[in-house]
Amino acid sequence: MTTAIQNCERCESPLETGDLRCSICGQVSPADRPLAHKLTVQILRCKGCGAATSYDIEHQAPSCTFCDSVVEVETVDDPMEQSKGYLPFTTGQDEARKAMRDWLSSLGWFRPSDLTTSAQLEQLKPLWWVGWVFDAESHVSWAADSNAGSRRSAWAPHSGQVNMTFDDILVSASRGLSESEVSAIGPGCDLRSILDQPDGAQNATVEQFDLQRSQARQQIIAAIQKIAARRVEQNEIPGSHFRKTQVSIVLRKLMTRRISLPAWVLAYRYKGRLYRMVISGQNTSYVTGTAPYSIVKIILVAICVVAAFLVVFALVVGR
Amino acid sequence: MTDAASKELAGQVEISCQACGSTLLLDSNLRTTVCPYCASPSVIERPPSANRPAPSFVVGFVVDHDRAAEAVRNWISSTSIFARSDFKQTAPERTRGVYLPAYLYGAVADSSYFAKIGENYTEIETYTTTDSKGNTVTRTRTVTRTEYRSLGGEHSTYIVDVVVTASAGVTNEALEAIEPFDLRALRRYEPSFISGWLAEDPSRSKDDCFQLSHDESVAKVEQMLHDFMPGDSHSGLRFETNLSQEVIDLVLLPVWSFAVRYAEDRPPVQILMNGQTGRVGGKVPISAIKVTIAVLIGLTVVGGFVLAVASSH
Repeated sequence: MTTAIQNCERCESPLETGDLRCSICGQVSPADRPLAHKLTVQILRCKGCGAATSYDIEHQAPSCTFCDSVVEVETVDDPMEQSKGYLPFTTGQDEARKAMRDWLSSLGWFRPSDLTTSAQLEQLKPLWWVGWVFDAESHVSWAADSNAGSRRSAWAPHSGQVNMTFDDILVSASRGLSESEVSAIGPGCDLRSILDQPDGAQNATVEQFDLQRSQARQQIIAAIQKIAARRVEQNEIPGSHFRKTQVSIVLRKLMTRRISLPAWVLAYRYKGRLYRMVISGQNTSYVTGTAPYSIVKIILVAICVVAAFLVVFALVVGR
Repeated sequence: MTDAASKELAGQVEISCQACGSTLLLDSNLRTTVCPYCASPSVIERPPSANRPAPSFVVGFVVDHDRAAEAVRNWISSTSIFARSDFKQTAPERTRGVYLPAYLYGAVADSSYFAKIGENYTEIETYTTTDSKGNTVTRTRTVTRTEYRSLGGEHSTYIVDVVVTASAGVTNEALEAIEPFDLRALRRYEPSFISGWLAEDPSRSKDDCFQLSHDESVAKVEQMLHDFMPGDSHSGLRFETNLSQEVIDLVLLPVWSFAVRYAEDRPPVQILMNGQTGRVGGKVPISAIKVTIAVLIGLTVVGGFVLAVASSH
């Protein structure tokens, strides 16, 4: 399975079973084959029939031409990602229902007045969605344009380098939840409470990682690039407006955990149409979803605004 | 594994076949041989040295001999029209599949750079022109101008997957022509992988290969820096790169090597094919006669045109 065997000697990121090289820095993983101490000549023989074996294109591996058996060789292993732990549901169905009512009534005046009372809950399903949590150290070089120090053009170039650490950063691997849903409910999870088994909800949908390790690593690296660029804009680049922010990252000690996180997925019906909500399974104050607007109220406001404008205009002209 | 009664001679090594006991003589830069008497494939392992480290990885052959020969024939006949006719008509001969030694290099590249960054801005300028009635009028237009700001800084990155030749028989340019190899298909080196195939040991010194790797790495850094620069445009990029924490590993790459002998009085041309992806590369001999004729035709056409224009005046 995809367990860490040891750390890379160079960048200290964990190597996993089946890695021939470090995925971060390219350092070769140690081999267990002894080196030759003097010149030796060998004929490699088939373990089955004793005939000499040679590399065969058809099998993409060394094989015996007589008995057709293939010699096992160590290859790059690229297994499907598997969740290594589950965060438990700490909220129940009733709390999720209450969170839905609370959220609907908190949305503000532009929503229909009867939204909270007329919304019919159609479905309430527990879901374990998948994601990666990583820690890393990094040395980030950045360059960007910002408004600080600009002359005739609105932009001036800036550059710099900064050390950055990443602690418990959550990256979504979910296909069921959208990016914005994940960023709304993700912070509601306590990442220290990982269990080996799903716990706290019955009949839950358990999402699987549907990508291979190599693709997963690409997604994580892409996420790190994005987070680093955002942090650089917040903390490093002078000015308030930015464009063309470039980052180059030398990563060390990248540790990734693959976990499943709990969420309540709700569907409610209002006046014949379905709307969707997602609530964190560990803290019901982290809620996101869609809800209808009241067209009547919006039109009313628009009319009021136009009327007010006309009154002011009439007063100004009337003087 | 058995020890061989062997002797290292000048450029050659004497080994004894472990199957039939015959004494074989082979080039000392080869890792494999097939006994001419009993057809047993042998793999020779030598103690690693600085210039001849043990291989870490191998990439297996995917393209077989027949497909390789076919593809190279097609490649030769589809070369440029300036290639020598006798070259285009020759069938490749002396084919061999060989595991070519190459180094896989990686490093941390720290660079300091300096460049002029162009930031665009627009200005409204007034100009005078004549309208359709012939009157002189003053109008305005928006023009984009560029202001240049200097930018210096530091840039750090990992360099990975630089591949350079370790065989004296193949230049780095020739290897680059058939790159890339798909390194996701790397296998840990096992002697059984090269058994029955030709495999070479490194014949270039490690220092040479480090130099080639450094050059390729600096070229990669330059490309990265061009992509790294902010602004709407940039110019005058200067940089200095320091490579540290280097790793260099020997990898055996699958290559089909063809020798094309197209004329008695010319040395054969080496054409290589990537044994994994099927990509073909080689230097095509250009026909001096064809180029001369083309130049003459070009000159005649231009001359005729000039004469025609001159006479019409």
